[in-house]
Amino acid sequence: MNRIPAPRPIRGFVALREGSRPLGVVSAVVGGLALAVVLGGTTSVLAEYGIRREDRIAAALQSRELFTLLVFGSLLGAGATALGFGTYRRMPTRVSREEAIAGAVLGLQAAIGGLALLWFIQGDMERFARNFLSFEQIVPQYEAFLNGARNTLVLAGAGEFFGVILGLVLSVFTISKRAVVRAPVRVYINLFRGTPLLLQLSLIYFGLALGLGVNMSAYTAAILAFSLNTGAYSAEVFRAGIQSIERGQMEAARGLGLGYMQSMRYVIVPQAVRRVIPPLMNEFVILIKDTSLIAFLGLSYAQRDLFTVGSQGYSQFFNATFYVASGLGYLVVTLPLIRLVTWVEKRLRSGLLGAVA
Amino acid sequence: MSREANALGWPAGPVPAGAPLIRLEAIHKWFGNLHVLKGIDLDLASGHVLVVIGTSGSGKSTLLRCIDMLEEPTSGHVWFKGRDITDVRVNLNEVRTHMGIVFQAFNLFPHKTALGNITLALEKVLHMPRDQARERARAELEHVGLGQKALSHPGQLSGGEQQRVAIARALAMRPDLILFDEVTSALDPKLVAEVLAVMQRLASEGTTMVVVTHEMGFAREVGTHLVFMDEGVIVEQGEPKAVFDNPQHEQTRRFLSSVL
Ligand SMILES: Nc1ncnc2c1ncn2[C@@H]1O[C@H](COP(=O)(O)OP(=O)(O)O)[C@@H](O)[C@H]1O
Ligand SMILES: [Mg+2]
Repeated sequence: MNRIPAPRPIRGFVALREGSRPLGVVSAVVGGLALAVVLGGTTSVLAEYGIRREDRIAAALQSRELFTLLVFGSLLGAGATALGFGTYRRMPTRVSREEAIAGAVLGLQAAIGGLALLWFIQGDMERFARNFLSFEQIVPQYEAFLNGARNTLVLAGAGEFFGVILGLVLSVFTISKRAVVRAPVRVYINLFRGTPLLLQLSLIYFGLALGLGVNMSAYTAAILAFSLNTGAYSAEVFRAGIQSIERGQMEAARGLGLGYMQSMRYVIVPQAVRRVIPPLMNEFVILIKDTSLIAFLGLSYAQRDLFTVGSQGYSQFFNATFYVASGLGYLVVTLPLIRLVTWVEKRLRSGLLGAVA
Repeated sequence: MSREANALGWPAGPVPAGAPLIRLEAIHKWFGNLHVLKGIDLDLASGHVLVVIGTSGSGKSTLLRCIDMLEEPTSGHVWFKGRDITDVRVNLNEVRTHMGIVFQAFNLFPHKTALGNITLALEKVLHMPRDQARERARAELEHVGLGQKALSHPGQLSGGEQQRVAIARALAMRPDLILFDEVTSALDPKLVAEVLAVMQRLASEGTTMVVVTHEMGFAREVGTHLVFMDEGVIVEQGEPKAVFDNPQHEQTRRFLSSVL
């Protein structure tokens, strides 16, 4: 038999490779520790001082403890980076190589984060805390923010709801084989996709009132504009979804004697809808943020959305903490949605949702 | 006006006596510059099993799809029960309720159960009450040996089972004929037999069928008439055993020696 001879091991090299294996674990642990020191250290120092009052936050940021922790964490991170990057090529196993790389990357994140924070806390922390982290002023406005969040969700929810229905109808027109049917819908979609939402909002609210004497509340105008805009975007999403359904589905349906519209309704659209749930949810996340444009219409106190609450708070108290709080409010709403999109996508890909009738 | 004539839409009137179930007359089909069917003439009488064989790309599927007008012939006529269904005034949805088609890729509706795949057209096209539709669907599933799988989704069925559901779906409409387009080509060899067995039984029950297939054993044993196509024309046709045992054309001989 003609065997390929195994390469003869080089003694010294093997010894080195075997010897370097624990280094992978070491750099991973050191890197993780460094990041923990930087993030956990900052958090615990802040927690210790308390974050309800801005002067306590400023004190925490200027404290010796935080400075020491950040220096220590950065150095540790730099060490882990050097160790990991220096040794990962020589790791004998896949696992130890990954450990070394993870250690190096974690260490680098710790070093960069730590150094950035160190640089930052050299600045005027009192001013920073007073302007951005003055949560004391926010707490009394708690109800206004909750109301703002509710309005934001109502606006986005209504816009998305009507928009999706409109978009589904429009999408069926866009795939017509007849140009006379497609053309007007194309014009509509391109107009709404090609102009800023802010412009559409203004035209509908101010334009209709001024030009045609149609008076509607800012709220109604906003929902109308959001619906028409979402309709244009979701029409494209639905169109892509419908066109992604295999041709054989339509042929099987027609072959059974179902008409074109029946085939769409009972066979194509139900399948397409499942495929477009993730992109439509992404559109919804975008719309949630875009509802902030309503601020330009001038809103009554009760109508204010999350952004307007923040921005009016800012103009009233000259304090950017209102913006920070408003941003946090958006995140509370959008982050779970974003997670949900990922989850739905995963389930759709594994076919779990596809099988449900 | 008879009920049947009415169902076909225009033109109404009695079915001419002695008309074949299907008559293809000078069918040409172009896809852009591609001339796929080059003048096909063919008759099919009730109760017959017409088998179509030929190399891949010779236009077999296109021909089959022209019969139920899923593909519209560029020129020529398709007569169904003595009526020209290429006439634009014909309601093709109604015509298609009298024909079934089964595809190579099954084309089951993945969002519906086996039962739901069958009841859809019964309810929405034939306007059958729901209970009656379900009852018939169950009976058809039993008929293809899948009574247990009524509530399974296509994704939970093997290829052979999916294809049998697709056959049951076509049968449930009680069509005058069923078109089969290489229905075993996408199946593992192990699963081919179960589908062929179902088709063989349908043939023995007198179902009118047009079968495009590469299963030469089936073509020979089950077919009552055989057509060999090449490059968009019918090269040779006749009684299957005669064509297999004594092909008259060089092209047929070459094709048969390549597949047998
Ligand atoms: N929808 C279509 N558009 C363009 N060309 C097509 C289409 N359907 C089939 N063809 C072409 O027509 C020819 C015959 O196809 P087909 O009838 O599927 O052959 P077969 O079923 O015998 O393999 C092939 O060259 C194929 O590429
Ligand atoms: Mg084919």
